[in-house]
Amino acid sequence: MTVLIVLVALAVGAYLVAVLESWAVHGRLEPARPAISALALLGRESLLARTPDRLFFEAGPVVLLVAGLLAVAVIPLAPGLIVTDLATGALFLNAALAYVLVALIMAGWGPNGAYAMIGGWRFLGQFVAYAMLIVMPITAVAMRAESLSTVDIVTSQSTLWNIAYQPLGFVLFVAAAMGLCWLPPLDLPTARGDLAGGIEAEYTGARLAVLRLARMVLIMALAGATVTFYLGGWLGPWLPAWAWSAIKILFVAGLMVSVGRLVPRVREAQYLEISWKLGIPLALANIFLVGVITLVVPI
Amino acid sequence: MTPQMIFLMFFGGAAVWFGIVVFRTLSMVRSALALLFSQTAVGVMFLLMQAEFLGVLQIMMMATEMSVMAIFMVMFMMDPGGMGAMDMTHQKRLSLWAGGIGFVAALAVIWLADWGPANLQIPDATEQTAELGRELLGRSMFIFESAALMILTAMVAATMVAIHPSEGRKR
Repeated sequence: MTVLIVLVALAVGAYLVAVLESWAVHGRLEPARPAISALALLGRESLLARTPDRLFFEAGPVVLLVAGLLAVAVIPLAPGLIVTDLATGALFLNAALAYVLVALIMAGWGPNGAYAMIGGWRFLGQFVAYAMLIVMPITAVAMRAESLSTVDIVTSQSTLWNIAYQPLGFVLFVAAAMGLCWLPPLDLPTARGDLAGGIEAEYTGARLAVLRLARMVLIMALAGATVTFYLGGWLGPWLPAWAWSAIKILFVAGLMVSVGRLVPRVREAQYLEISWKLGIPLALANIFLVGVITLVVPI
Repeated sequence: MTPQMIFLMFFGGAAVWFGIVVFRTLSMVRSALALLFSQTAVGVMFLLMQAEFLGVLQIMMMATEMSVMAIFMVMFMMDPGGMGAMDMTHQKRLSLWAGGIGFVAALAVIWLADWGPANLQIPDATEQTAELGRELLGRSMFIFESAALMILTAMVAATMVAIHPSEGRKR
Protein backbone atom coordinates (compact mmCIF):
# COMPACT_ATOMS: atom_id res chain seq x y z
CA MET A 1 0.00 0.00 0.00
CA THR A 2 2.80 2.40 0.98
CA VAL A 3 4.60 1.56 -2.26
CA LEU A 4 1.47 2.42 -4.25
CA ILE A 5 0.98 5.76 -2.46
CA VAL A 6 4.64 6.70 -2.98
CA LEU A 7 4.48 5.73 -6.68
CA VAL A 8 1.29 7.78 -7.26
CA ALA A 9 2.81 10.75 -5.40
CA LEU A 10 5.95 10.37 -7.53
CA ALA A 11 3.94 10.28 -10.78
CA VAL A 12 1.91 13.39 -9.83
CA GLY A 13 5.05 15.20 -8.66
CA ALA A 14 7.01 14.30 -11.81
CA TYR A 15 4.14 15.56 -13.97
CA LEU A 16 3.94 18.87 -12.13
CA VAL A 17 7.71 19.36 -12.35
CA ALA A 18 7.57 18.57 -16.08
CA VAL A 19 4.95 21.33 -16.45
CA LEU A 20 7.20 23.71 -14.50
CA GLU A 21 10.21 22.79 -16.65
CA SER A 22 8.35 23.38 -19.90
CA TRP A 23 7.21 26.74 -18.46
CA ALA A 24 10.86 27.64 -17.71
CA VAL A 25 12.02 26.53 -21.18
CA HIS A 26 9.20 27.80 -23.43
CA GLY A 27 7.93 30.71 -21.32
CA ARG A 28 4.28 29.55 -21.49
CA LEU A 29 2.34 27.70 -18.81
CA GLU A 30 0.74 24.72 -20.60
CA PRO A 31 -0.54 22.09 -18.11
CA ALA A 32 -1.24 19.52 -20.87
CA ARG A 33 2.17 19.78 -22.54
CA PRO A 34 3.97 16.82 -20.85
CA ALA A 35 1.01 14.51 -21.58
CA ILE A 36 0.88 15.59 -25.23
CA SER A 37 4.67 15.18 -25.62
CA ALA A 38 4.55 11.74 -24.00
CA LEU A 39 1.71 10.59 -26.28
CA ALA A 40 3.58 11.96 -29.30
CA LEU A 41 6.76 10.11 -28.30
CA LEU A 42 4.88 6.84 -27.70
CA GLY A 43 3.18 7.17 -31.10
CA ARG A 44 6.43 7.64 -32.96
CA GLU A 45 8.60 4.85 -34.37
CA SER A 46 11.45 3.87 -32.03
CA LEU A 47 14.45 3.66 -34.35
CA LEU A 48 17.43 1.40 -33.80
CA ALA A 49 20.87 2.67 -34.79
CA ARG A 50 23.05 0.64 -37.18
CA THR A 51 25.21 -2.05 -35.45
CA PRO A 52 24.31 -0.98 -31.91
CA ASP A 53 25.34 -2.66 -28.68
CA ARG A 54 21.74 -3.77 -28.43
CA LEU A 55 21.91 -4.91 -24.80
CA PHE A 56 23.25 -1.57 -23.52
CA PHE A 57 21.00 0.44 -25.84
CA GLU A 58 17.88 -1.22 -24.43
CA ALA A 59 19.09 -1.45 -20.83
CA GLY A 60 20.36 2.15 -20.43
CA PRO A 61 17.01 3.98 -19.98
CA VAL A 62 15.59 1.13 -17.87
CA VAL A 63 18.60 1.03 -15.51
CA LEU A 64 18.28 4.82 -15.13
CA LEU A 65 14.61 4.47 -14.20
CA VAL A 66 15.33 1.67 -11.72
CA ALA A 67 18.16 3.69 -10.10
CA GLY A 68 15.81 6.67 -9.66
CA LEU A 69 13.04 4.50 -8.18
CA LEU A 70 15.45 2.80 -5.75
CA ALA A 71 16.65 6.24 -4.59
CA VAL A 72 13.02 7.28 -3.98
CA ALA A 73 12.50 4.14 -1.85
CA VAL A 74 14.47 5.56 1.12
CA ILE A 75 12.93 9.08 1.06
CA PRO A 76 10.33 9.55 3.85
CA LEU A 77 7.23 11.58 2.87
CA ALA A 78 5.58 11.44 6.32
CA PRO A 79 6.07 9.41 9.53
CA GLY A 80 5.54 5.83 8.36
CA LEU A 81 5.15 6.80 4.71
CA ILE A 82 8.44 5.43 3.36
CA VAL A 83 8.98 2.38 1.16
CA THR A 84 11.82 1.01 3.30
CA ASP A 85 13.47 2.65 6.31
CA LEU A 86 16.95 1.12 6.02
CA ALA A 87 19.49 1.54 8.81
CA THR A 88 21.91 2.61 6.04
CA GLY A 89 19.38 4.75 4.12
CA ALA A 90 21.66 7.70 3.36
CA LEU A 91 24.34 5.35 2.03
CA PHE A 92 21.76 3.36 0.06
CA LEU A 93 20.66 6.58 -1.65
CA ASN A 94 24.25 7.08 -2.82
CA ALA A 95 24.48 3.49 -4.00
CA ALA A 96 21.31 3.86 -6.09
CA LEU A 97 22.49 7.17 -7.56
CA ALA A 98 25.87 5.64 -8.51
CA TYR A 99 23.99 3.55 -11.10
CA VAL A 100 22.89 6.75 -12.88
CA LEU A 101 26.46 6.90 -14.19
CA VAL A 102 26.37 3.24 -15.26
CA ALA A 103 23.04 3.80 -17.04
CA LEU A 104 24.27 6.86 -18.91
CA ILE A 105 27.49 5.15 -20.00
CA MET A 106 25.35 2.27 -21.31
CA ALA A 107 23.00 4.69 -23.08
CA GLY A 108 25.94 6.63 -24.53
CA TRP A 109 27.92 3.57 -25.69
CA GLY A 110 24.94 1.51 -26.85
CA PRO A 111 23.74 3.24 -30.04
CA ASN A 112 27.21 3.26 -31.65
CA GLY A 113 27.01 6.99 -32.44
CA ALA A 114 29.72 9.61 -31.90
CA TYR A 115 27.51 12.25 -30.28
CA ALA A 116 25.88 9.82 -27.86
CA MET A 117 29.23 8.31 -26.89
CA ILE A 118 30.82 11.72 -26.22
CA GLY A 119 27.73 12.60 -24.15
CA GLY A 120 28.15 9.44 -22.06
CA TRP A 121 31.83 10.03 -21.38
CA ARG A 122 31.14 13.70 -20.65
CA PHE A 123 28.78 12.55 -17.92
CA LEU A 124 31.60 10.43 -16.50
CA GLY A 125 33.77 13.57 -16.34
CA GLN A 126 30.93 15.38 -14.66
CA PHE A 127 30.54 12.50 -12.22
CA VAL A 128 34.18 12.77 -11.12
CA ALA A 129 33.39 16.40 -10.27
CA TYR A 130 30.12 15.99 -8.37
CA ALA A 131 30.57 12.57 -6.70
CA MET A 132 32.49 13.71 -3.62
CA LEU A 133 30.23 16.73 -3.19
CA ILE A 134 27.19 14.45 -2.88
CA VAL A 135 28.83 12.13 -0.34
CA MET A 136 30.68 14.61 1.90
CA PRO A 137 27.71 16.91 2.74
CA ILE A 138 25.64 13.77 3.50
CA THR A 139 28.42 12.69 5.89
CA ALA A 140 27.98 15.95 7.83
CA VAL A 141 24.18 15.46 7.90
CA ALA A 142 24.59 11.90 9.24
CA MET A 143 27.06 13.19 11.85
CA ARG A 144 24.42 15.49 13.34
CA ALA A 145 21.71 12.82 13.24
CA GLU A 146 24.16 10.17 14.55
CA SER A 147 22.40 7.80 12.14
CA LEU A 148 22.29 6.91 8.44
CA SER A 149 18.53 6.27 8.55
CA THR A 150 16.67 8.95 6.59
CA VAL A 151 13.83 8.96 9.15
CA ASP A 152 16.31 9.67 11.98
CA ILE A 153 17.88 12.40 9.84
CA VAL A 154 14.50 14.15 9.51
CA THR A 155 13.68 13.86 13.24
CA SER A 156 17.15 15.20 14.16
CA GLN A 157 16.11 18.51 12.54
CA SER A 158 13.07 19.09 14.79
CA THR A 159 14.69 22.04 16.60
CA LEU A 160 16.66 23.54 13.70
CA TRP A 161 16.66 22.59 10.02
CA ASN A 162 20.01 21.61 8.54
CA ILE A 163 19.82 24.46 6.02
CA ALA A 164 20.43 26.80 8.99
CA TYR A 165 22.70 24.36 10.87
CA GLN A 166 25.03 23.67 7.93
CA PRO A 167 24.25 26.12 5.09
CA LEU A 168 27.59 25.40 3.40
CA GLY A 169 26.68 21.71 3.02
CA PHE A 170 23.28 22.67 1.60
CA VAL A 171 24.78 24.85 -1.16
CA LEU A 172 27.36 22.19 -2.09
CA PHE A 173 24.78 19.39 -2.10
CA VAL A 174 22.29 21.24 -4.31
CA ALA A 175 25.02 22.22 -6.79
CA ALA A 176 26.19 18.60 -6.95
CA ALA A 177 22.59 17.37 -7.29
CA MET A 178 22.14 19.64 -10.33
CA GLY A 179 25.22 18.00 -11.87
CA LEU A 180 23.85 14.54 -11.09
CA CYS A 181 20.55 15.33 -12.91
CA TRP A 182 22.50 17.03 -15.75
CA LEU A 183 20.32 20.12 -15.36
CA PRO A 184 21.39 23.46 -16.81
CA PRO A 185 23.98 24.98 -16.44
CA LEU A 186 25.54 21.49 -16.17
CA ASP A 187 23.64 19.89 -19.08
CA LEU A 188 26.59 19.25 -21.40
CA PRO A 189 25.96 15.45 -21.63
CA THR A 190 22.70 16.17 -23.48
CA ALA A 191 23.64 19.58 -24.94
CA ARG A 192 21.50 20.41 -27.98
CA GLY A 193 23.89 22.99 -29.41
CA ASP A 194 27.15 21.10 -29.80
CA LEU A 195 26.17 17.42 -29.42
CA ALA A 196 22.73 17.40 -31.11
CA GLY A 197 21.23 16.00 -27.91
CA GLY A 198 24.23 13.91 -26.78
CA ILE A 199 22.94 10.85 -24.91
CA GLU A 200 19.42 11.54 -26.21
CA ALA A 201 20.62 11.94 -29.82
CA GLU A 202 20.01 8.34 -30.99
CA TYR A 203 16.94 7.61 -28.87
CA THR A 204 13.47 8.03 -30.39
CA GLY A 205 9.90 7.00 -29.63
CA ALA A 206 9.10 4.89 -26.59
CA ARG A 207 12.77 4.48 -25.57
CA LEU A 208 13.20 8.28 -25.44
CA ALA A 209 9.98 8.52 -23.41
CA VAL A 210 11.46 6.11 -20.82
CA LEU A 211 14.72 8.09 -20.75
CA ARG A 212 12.86 11.40 -20.17
CA LEU A 213 10.61 9.83 -17.51
CA ALA A 214 13.67 8.41 -15.74
CA ARG A 215 15.25 11.87 -15.71
CA MET A 216 12.11 13.33 -14.09
CA VAL A 217 12.12 10.55 -11.45
CA LEU A 218 15.78 11.36 -10.78
CA ILE A 219 15.01 15.07 -10.32
CA MET A 220 12.21 14.16 -7.89
CA ALA A 221 14.55 11.80 -5.99
CA LEU A 222 17.21 14.51 -5.64
CA ALA A 223 14.64 17.14 -4.60
CA GLY A 224 13.32 14.64 -2.04
CA ALA A 225 16.85 13.99 -0.79
CA THR A 226 17.51 17.75 -0.45
CA VAL A 227 14.29 18.17 1.55
CA THR A 228 15.07 15.15 3.74
CA PHE A 229 18.66 16.15 4.47
CA TYR A 230 18.37 19.96 4.74
CA LEU A 231 14.77 21.23 4.85
CA GLY A 232 13.40 19.16 7.69
CA GLY A 233 11.52 16.59 5.58
CA TRP A 234 7.88 16.41 6.65
CA LEU A 235 8.35 18.79 9.64
CA GLY A 236 6.24 21.97 9.70
CA PRO A 237 3.34 23.63 11.56
CA TRP A 238 -0.46 23.53 10.86
CA LEU A 239 -0.51 21.42 7.67
CA PRO A 240 -0.34 17.58 7.72
CA ALA A 241 3.10 15.97 7.32
CA TRP A 242 2.61 14.70 3.75
CA ALA A 243 1.50 18.17 2.60
CA TRP A 244 4.71 19.73 3.93
CA SER A 245 6.78 17.08 2.11
CA ALA A 246 4.86 17.73 -1.12
CA ILE A 247 5.20 21.53 -0.90
CA LYS A 248 8.91 21.41 -0.08
CA ILE A 249 9.82 18.79 -2.70
CA LEU A 250 7.90 20.59 -5.46
CA PHE A 251 9.46 23.91 -4.48
CA VAL A 252 13.02 22.51 -4.56
CA ALA A 253 12.41 20.60 -7.81
CA GLY A 254 10.90 23.73 -9.37
CA LEU A 255 13.96 25.77 -8.41
CA MET A 256 16.30 23.04 -9.71
CA VAL A 257 14.69 22.96 -13.18
CA SER A 258 14.30 26.72 -13.59
CA VAL A 259 17.04 28.77 -11.88
CA GLY A 260 20.01 27.12 -13.61
CA ARG A 261 18.77 28.34 -16.99
CA LEU A 262 19.68 31.91 -16.06
CA VAL A 263 23.40 31.01 -15.91
CA PRO A 264 25.66 30.20 -18.89
CA ARG A 265 26.70 26.54 -19.37
CA VAL A 266 29.72 25.28 -17.45
CA ARG A 267 32.30 23.16 -19.32
CA GLU A 268 33.21 19.87 -17.58
CA ALA A 269 36.84 21.03 -17.22
CA GLN A 270 35.71 24.17 -15.39
CA TYR A 271 33.23 22.15 -13.34
CA LEU A 272 35.99 19.70 -12.35
CA GLU A 273 38.32 22.53 -11.44
CA ILE A 274 35.74 24.35 -9.27
CA SER A 275 34.61 21.11 -7.62
CA TRP A 276 38.05 19.83 -6.68
CA LYS A 277 39.87 23.07 -5.89
CA LEU A 278 37.02 24.88 -4.12
CA GLY A 279 34.17 22.42 -3.47
CA ILE A 280 36.05 19.61 -1.72
CA PRO A 281 38.01 21.88 0.69
CA LEU A 282 34.72 23.62 1.55
CA ALA A 283 33.02 20.24 2.09
CA LEU A 284 35.86 19.19 4.43
CA ALA A 285 35.53 22.50 6.31
CA ASN A 286 31.78 21.82 6.58
CA ILE A 287 32.41 18.36 8.11
CA PHE A 288 34.89 19.90 10.58
CA LEU A 289 32.51 22.75 11.56
CA VAL A 290 29.54 20.42 12.00
CA GLY A 291 31.72 18.11 14.11
CA VAL A 292 32.76 20.98 16.38
CA ILE A 293 29.18 22.34 16.69
CA THR A 294 27.77 18.85 17.39
CA LEU A 295 30.28 18.32 20.19
CA VAL A 296 30.16 21.80 21.74
CA VAL A 297 26.59 23.14 21.33
CA PRO A 298 23.76 20.64 21.80
CA ILE A 299 21.00 21.87 19.42
CA MET B 1 17.12 -25.36 2.38
CA THR B 2 15.96 -21.85 3.25
CA PRO B 3 15.02 -19.23 0.60
CA GLN B 4 18.03 -17.23 1.83
CA MET B 5 20.37 -20.08 0.80
CA ILE B 6 18.69 -20.45 -2.60
CA PHE B 7 19.13 -16.73 -3.31
CA LEU B 8 22.69 -16.88 -2.02
CA MET B 9 23.48 -19.69 -4.46
CA PHE B 10 21.74 -17.84 -7.30
CA PHE B 11 23.75 -14.64 -6.77
CA GLY B 12 26.94 -16.61 -6.19
CA GLY B 13 26.35 -18.28 -9.56
CA ALA B 14 25.61 -14.88 -11.13
CA ALA B 15 28.88 -13.48 -9.75
CA VAL B 16 30.85 -16.38 -11.26
CA TRP B 17 28.96 -16.19 -14.58
CA PHE B 18 29.57 -12.45 -15.01
CA GLY B 19 33.20 -13.09 -14.09
CA ILE B 20 33.39 -15.52 -17.03
CA VAL B 21 31.62 -13.00 -19.32
CA VAL B 22 34.44 -10.50 -18.61
CA PHE B 23 36.80 -12.70 -20.65
CA ARG B 24 34.30 -13.95 -23.24
CA THR B 25 33.38 -10.55 -24.70
CA LEU B 26 35.59 -8.51 -27.02
CA SER B 27 34.00 -5.16 -26.15
CA MET B 28 35.93 -3.34 -23.45
CA VAL B 29 32.84 -1.55 -22.08
CA ARG B 30 30.90 -4.81 -21.90
CA SER B 31 33.87 -6.42 -20.17
CA ALA B 32 34.09 -3.64 -17.55
CA LEU B 33 30.35 -3.64 -16.89
CA ALA B 34 30.28 -7.46 -16.66
CA LEU B 35 32.89 -7.16 -13.91
CA LEU B 36 30.66 -4.53 -12.28
CA PHE B 37 27.66 -6.87 -12.29
CA SER B 38 29.82 -9.68 -10.90
CA GLN B 39 30.82 -7.41 -8.00
CA THR B 40 27.24 -6.17 -7.56
CA ALA B 41 26.15 -9.80 -7.20
CA VAL B 42 28.76 -10.18 -4.44
CA GLY B 43 27.25 -7.06 -2.80
CA VAL B 44 23.79 -8.65 -2.94
CA MET B 45 25.30 -11.75 -1.29
CA PHE B 46 26.48 -9.50 1.58
CA LEU B 47 22.93 -8.15 1.86
CA LEU B 48 21.53 -11.71 1.95
CA MET B 49 23.96 -12.57 4.74
CA GLN B 50 22.53 -9.55 6.64
CA ALA B 51 25.69 -7.44 6.39
CA GLU B 52 23.70 -4.40 5.26
CA PHE B 53 26.39 -1.72 5.43
CA LEU B 54 29.03 -3.82 3.66
CA GLY B 55 26.55 -4.86 0.96
CA VAL B 56 25.37 -1.33 0.19
CA LEU B 57 28.96 -0.05 0.27
CA GLN B 58 30.12 -2.78 -2.14
CA ILE B 59 27.26 -2.05 -4.55
CA MET B 60 28.00 1.70 -4.44
CA MET B 61 31.79 1.64 -4.75
CA MET B 62 31.91 -0.85 -7.62
CA ALA B 63 29.57 1.18 -9.86
CA THR B 64 31.94 4.14 -9.90
CA GLU B 65 35.16 2.14 -9.96
CA MET B 66 34.18 -0.04 -12.89
CA SER B 67 32.83 2.93 -14.88
CA VAL B 68 36.11 4.78 -14.48
CA MET B 69 37.93 1.58 -15.45
CA ALA B 70 35.76 1.34 -18.58
CA ILE B 71 36.95 4.70 -19.89
CA PHE B 72 40.60 3.79 -19.25
CA MET B 73 40.13 0.51 -21.13
CA VAL B 74 38.53 2.37 -24.03
CA MET B 75 41.41 4.86 -24.07
CA PHE B 76 44.26 2.36 -23.98
CA MET B 77 42.99 -0.63 -25.99
CA MET B 78 43.40 -0.79 -29.75
CA ASP B 79 39.95 -2.19 -30.44
CA PRO B 80 37.71 -1.00 -27.58
CA GLY B 81 34.41 -1.85 -29.29
CA GLY B 82 35.53 -5.36 -30.15
CA MET B 83 34.28 -4.88 -33.70
CA GLY B 84 37.63 -5.72 -35.29
CA ALA B 85 37.62 -9.13 -33.53
CA MET B 86 41.17 -8.55 -32.30
CA ASP B 87 42.63 -11.07 -29.84
CA MET B 88 43.80 -9.03 -26.87
CA THR B 89 44.84 -11.91 -24.60
CA HIS B 90 48.51 -12.62 -24.03
CA GLN B 91 50.82 -14.72 -21.79
CA LYS B 92 48.16 -17.44 -21.84
CA ARG B 93 50.28 -20.23 -20.30
CA LEU B 94 51.41 -18.02 -17.39
CA SER B 95 47.88 -16.75 -16.71
CA LEU B 96 46.45 -20.29 -16.80
CA TRP B 97 49.00 -21.44 -14.23
CA ALA B 98 48.52 -18.36 -12.04
CA GLY B 99 44.73 -18.70 -12.18
CA GLY B 100 44.86 -22.45 -11.48
CA ILE B 101 47.19 -22.06 -8.49
CA GLY B 102 45.07 -19.20 -7.13
CA PHE B 103 41.92 -21.30 -7.45
CA VAL B 104 43.46 -24.30 -5.67
CA ALA B 105 44.85 -22.03 -2.91
CA ALA B 106 41.43 -20.44 -2.39
CA LEU B 107 39.78 -23.87 -2.17
CA ALA B 108 42.44 -25.03 0.28
CA VAL B 109 41.84 -22.00 2.51
CA ILE B 110 38.07 -22.58 2.39
CA TRP B 111 38.37 -26.26 3.37
CA LEU B 112 41.34 -26.25 5.72
CA ALA B 113 40.69 -23.07 7.73
CA ASP B 114 38.94 -23.39 11.08
CA TRP B 115 35.98 -21.03 10.64
CA GLY B 116 34.59 -21.62 14.13
CA PRO B 117 30.88 -22.03 14.87
CA ALA B 118 28.40 -20.08 12.72
CA ASN B 119 27.19 -16.86 14.35
CA LEU B 120 23.46 -17.25 14.91
CA GLN B 121 23.00 -14.03 16.92
CA ILE B 122 23.33 -11.39 14.20
CA PRO B 123 23.28 -7.81 15.53
CA ASP B 124 20.83 -5.49 13.73
CA ALA B 125 22.03 -3.18 10.96
CA THR B 126 22.35 -0.05 13.15
CA GLU B 127 24.53 -1.88 15.65
CA GLN B 128 26.65 -3.39 12.85
CA THR B 129 27.32 0.08 11.40
CA ALA B 130 28.29 1.43 14.84
CA GLU B 131 30.60 -1.52 15.47
CA LEU B 132 32.20 -1.09 12.05
CA GLY B 133 32.80 2.58 12.87
CA ARG B 134 34.45 1.67 16.17
CA GLU B 135 36.64 -0.90 14.41
CA LEU B 136 37.70 1.56 11.68
CA LEU B 137 38.51 4.33 14.16
CA GLY B 138 40.09 2.01 16.70
CA ARG B 139 42.13 -1.13 16.10
CA SER B 140 42.19 -0.90 12.27
CA MET B 141 42.74 2.85 12.05
CA PHE B 142 46.46 2.59 11.41
CA ILE B 143 46.00 0.10 8.53
CA PHE B 144 43.35 2.23 6.84
CA GLU B 145 45.22 5.49 7.33
CA SER B 146 48.43 4.05 5.85
CA ALA B 147 46.46 2.57 2.92
CA ALA B 148 44.82 5.97 2.34
CA LEU B 149 48.18 7.70 2.36
CA MET B 150 49.56 5.19 -0.15
CA ILE B 151 46.59 5.71 -2.48
CA LEU B 152 46.99 9.50 -2.20
CA THR B 153 50.68 9.21 -3.07
CA ALA B 154 49.83 7.02 -6.06
CA MET B 155 47.18 9.53 -7.22
CA VAL B 156 49.60 12.46 -7.04
CA ALA B 157 52.29 10.43 -8.84
CA ALA B 158 49.87 9.30 -11.56
CA THR B 159 48.74 12.89 -12.14
CA MET B 160 52.36 14.06 -12.35
CA VAL B 161 53.14 11.35 -14.92
CA ALA B 162 50.04 12.20 -16.95
CA ILE B 163 50.73 15.95 -17.19
CA HIS B 164 53.03 16.79 -20.06
CA PRO B 165 55.95 18.91 -18.77
CA SER B 166 55.46 21.69 -21.35
CA GLU B 167 51.79 22.13 -20.42
CA GLY B 168 52.61 24.06 -17.25
CA ARG B 169 54.68 26.64 -19.11
CA LYS B 170 52.02 27.43 -21.73
CA ARG B 171 49.53 28.82 -19.20
